[in-house]
Amino acid sequence: MGMTKYARRRAVVAILAGLLCAGVAYADDMDGYDHVHAGSHPSSEFVLFASLEGHEFSAPASANQLNEDANAIGDAVFAINRGRFRLFGEYQLSDEEHDLERFQVGMEVVPDTVVWIGRFHQPASAWNTEHHHGRYLQTAITRPSIELWEDEQGTIPQHLSGMLVDSRRPLGANAGIQLALGVGLGTVIESTGLSEFDLLDPHTNGRRMSYTGRIAFLPDYVGTSNLGLLFAHSDMPVRDAPTAALLRATDVRQDLYGAYTDWNHGPWQLHAAIYDVSMDLEGPGAFHSESFVAGYAQLERQLPHRLTAYAREENSSDAGSSVYVRVNHPDFQLRRATLGLRWDFHRRQALTAEWARGVSVRENQDAIRLQWSAALP
Amino acid sequence: MECGTAVIGKRSIRRFAALVGVLLLYGARPAAAADHLVLIASVNAPVSSLNSLEIQKLFLGLTVVTNGIDLHPLRNESDEAMRQLFYQDVVSMSEPVYERRLLALTLQQGRTAPPVYRDTRALLNALAADPHAVSYAWASDIARDGRVRILKLLGRE
Repeated sequence: MGMTKYARRRAVVAILAGLLCAGVAYADDMDGYDHVHAGSHPSSEFVLFASLEGHEFSAPASANQLNEDANAIGDAVFAINRGRFRLFGEYQLSDEEHDLERFQVGMEVVPDTVVWIGRFHQPASAWNTEHHHGRYLQTAITRPSIELWEDEQGTIPQHLSGMLVDSRRPLGANAGIQLALGVGLGTVIESTGLSEFDLLDPHTNGRRMSYTGRIAFLPDYVGTSNLGLLFAHSDMPVRDAPTAALLRATDVRQDLYGAYTDWNHGPWQLHAAIYDVSMDLEGPGAFHSESFVAGYAQLERQLPHRLTAYAREENSSDAGSSVYVRVNHPDFQLRRATLGLRWDFHRRQALTAEWARGVSVRENQDAIRLQWSAALP
Repeated sequence: MECGTAVIGKRSIRRFAALVGVLLLYGARPAAAADHLVLIASVNAPVSSLNSLEIQKLFLGLTVVTNGIDLHPLRNESDEAMRQLFYQDVVSMSEPVYERRLLALTLQQGRTAPPVYRDTRALLNALAADPHAVSYAWASDIARDGRVRILKLLGRE
């Protein structure tokens, strides 16, 4: 009571900074490995994913601040495990924004089944569940347009604040099955696009529960290949009156069904996903349903000298005629072709060059990007 | 004759001793060079054996439970040959792929990487102090350490 918004934010930041320091302190403590205790066995991890990017666009960049095009990004990840207890956080800082992307407390109730509470990435995104904000771990510089984050004019809510159950079970001798289910407070629609629940500036008013999940087959339980089915339901109130007028809706209910695969075979890798997105836009005296399909396939080939070449094709159907896309997501790439070459060098560092030609509701655009990315230390 | 026999006998003994010495020296090198990498745990550990998938999971930082106990992996990087055998025979992936997988598991599941030891003596001390810990070492390095026992033969240098 009486605590201002800024004071509350400072307090939360201070707590998070303390937790980060605790994580680093844990890491330092474990360096000497003088404190291995049976039963508790605390361990921690701190990783900074950093990237620097230069780019050139044939048409003016979006009027909105797109973190996808930020010149410098630092993504700090910390994890603390103590027995079956987990604490995990991801904080991103760039020249465009800073955000507590994930903050989760979890309990591994049985081996490889974790119940998380907090803010998490919804499991119905094929790309983001694999790469999250760690740019070094994704071969391409850009992510597919359908997988963009909310604050990058993404069309699908990507963050939920609530509970996530993530489980992997063995299937036969080597295979496995993954089931993930998430439920929590979702996004609202504002003039700048989707706005997710912010733990550092929490406003629950008007937010509704969203549901999301995936079921995946893992041919090798400890490997990275997998394929699966995705679903999500989001109920998004429109908070901004002019946007509500343009959409002719005060509430957008979005249902998503998708399928994806991340497949490795020798030097080849394939990342592909397809999403069917249907929406009911409802306002006072107005109701409108629409849907679109969007997907992508990215093929990668490892070459000698730690080089990786990749090509990605993104395409969509009916997205250009979607009121939801035209009004609130004008930079959504209806089609885009991307080519790139990545060179991994030193330890956990990479240089990537990428060319793309895309078509959005707003314009056609060619883009050339050059990026350095790393996972430190 | 007796004296002569005694002289020949001394020479023969000397020759035989020299031959044995050479053979021992010669034989000692291949024995050291062909050491075995073995999976080890404390003698008090409740674990008796682990299969290949469990070992792979363990050293990726995933949860492995045996007799109701969570096992703790400790990596041994005390020499280069052992490092290479670890990637080849224990986790069955190249070093860059393993490093990338550990990073991804931290990012995706909040997992932490197994602690790394660069000194076998320190590793054996840690292993002896933690009955839930599992690691690996050269068979010759643990031959006279009564605090640890071998769970499995992993590979050969």
